[in-house]
Amino acid sequence: MEGILFPRGVVEGLEGLDAYRSRGGYDAVSRLGEFSPQDIIATVEASGLRGRGGAGFPTGRKLALTLECPETPHYVVMNGGEDEPGSHKDRVLMENLPHLLLDGIILAAYAVQAEKAYLYINHNYEAATGAVETALREAREAGYWGEDIAGSGFSLELVMVAAPSNYVAGEDTAALEVIEGKEPLPRQKPPFPVTEGLFGKPSLVNNVETLANIAPIVARGAEWFRSFGTAESPGTMIFSLGDEMERPGVYELPLGTPLRHLLEECGGGLKGGKPIKAILPGGPSSGFLLPDNLDLPLDHDALREAGSSIGCGVVKVLTEGDSVLDELMRIADFFAKESCGQCPACRMETNMLVALLKKVQQGEGNDALTEQFGKVIAFNKGKGFCSLINMPGPPIESAVRLFPEEFRGA
Amino acid sequence: MNRFCLVCQNVDCKSRGSEELMKELQDRVAAKGLDDVEVRSYMCFGACQEGPNMVVYPDKCWYAGVKSEDVDDIVAHLAGGPHVDRLDKIDPSLKELIYQLLDTGVF
Repeated sequence: MEGILFPRGVVEGLEGLDAYRSRGGYDAVSRLGEFSPQDIIATVEASGLRGRGGAGFPTGRKLALTLECPETPHYVVMNGGEDEPGSHKDRVLMENLPHLLLDGIILAAYAVQAEKAYLYINHNYEAATGAVETALREAREAGYWGEDIAGSGFSLELVMVAAPSNYVAGEDTAALEVIEGKEPLPRQKPPFPVTEGLFGKPSLVNNVETLANIAPIVARGAEWFRSFGTAESPGTMIFSLGDEMERPGVYELPLGTPLRHLLEECGGGLKGGKPIKAILPGGPSSGFLLPDNLDLPLDHDALREAGSSIGCGVVKVLTEGDSVLDELMRIADFFAKESCGQCPACRMETNMLVALLKKVQQGEGNDALTEQFGKVIAFNKGKGFCSLINMPGPPIESAVRLFPEEFRGA
Repeated sequence: MNRFCLVCQNVDCKSRGSEELMKELQDRVAAKGLDDVEVRSYMCFGACQEGPNMVVYPDKCWYAGVKSEDVDDIVAHLAGGPHVDRLDKIDPSLKELIYQLLDTGVF
């Protein structure tokens, strides 16, 4: 199936500069003077692209907000921290389509009139770092970035920064802290990075996959982009399937594709043809779905209405016999360990949820204990600088609702 | 039933001296022979800015911002004396949440 990022919707190896150019790559960059920043923003806004890092914020809006800020200079940050367990999409994009990515970063930087863009890449990603490094050199030699790009009068510097691999380091404001040479700790928002970001200046911080969509949108237009996906969630998204599936890996699919297609046609079902018990469709911070939900379209709104979320497209499937409780314990434990400890409420919540789950695992579960999950989550909701505090809630609360028997005592 | 004096040992409370406080309380409780009272650590009560925090349970009595000069009065309470009202300054909704958790046995 045709993709927006991967020409055939699947990974086909590292695309070099010539191959990328032969499919129209860097065309807009090599004619940059023919476009105004507003032209690019208008096209991205018309495309309806939403951020692919998990929050789903309209990208065109973010570009416009950044450009509008009178304070200078402006910066762009490509967030390739990618610390969500099971997520490989950003790594796969950087490893295989580095020029597509740079093309998008250059266009985004022009759109917000940034003088410098930082490529923040998980330091464990050696192959991705290497591929981006090579692409940066090739693109520089070809004149796609540097001084006075293609005679447009616009100059841009691109710099790589190694990202720590802890979870909060992937949070946008923690990325800014690292680039500034500090510890990876999220900042309190507002102010948001668009107005007060890197070094206190207006900054566009976008996920790798979001930026990868910019060049195809600019090159082929909003209407073409909207021919993929749904009216509210246009375009494609990269979904990651884990080793529990017959064919694990990443798949680019139009948003709105039924979950069943991803799991059965792409993933080949669970290994050994085992039956599905539950699905976490959007990573460890999404709510559980049941096998009855297999015909749900994979888009932001449909999953939200079903009590879950699309997150960053990491799909985890449990089979009959798998314990939902064990999965919750792994999730709760992960967030407790990854909480940076800055915000008291987050520290209390993540530790408390682990303690409660332990009680249940020890066979001491009862209705009064089960009720505490919702109370702890509700009490702490939104009380942290970053969104980590809201992460363990959806899987736990959906599990309480869908699998109450797992919370009862032995 | 045993009584517990739960002393928070998370980062914030520790940085405000809760480790020393717990040790002092343990020594004093032992010296006084209060066999029904166990002074032990707790992971977090979620009131870090008010720390060091401790909760006497099942009395449901929360002491915040405890200093070593408060230990005498707290030990007196544990020995059957009055609550130390001046150390009771925590928001009732947080108290309610934590007391419920303790009631369900989350220690």
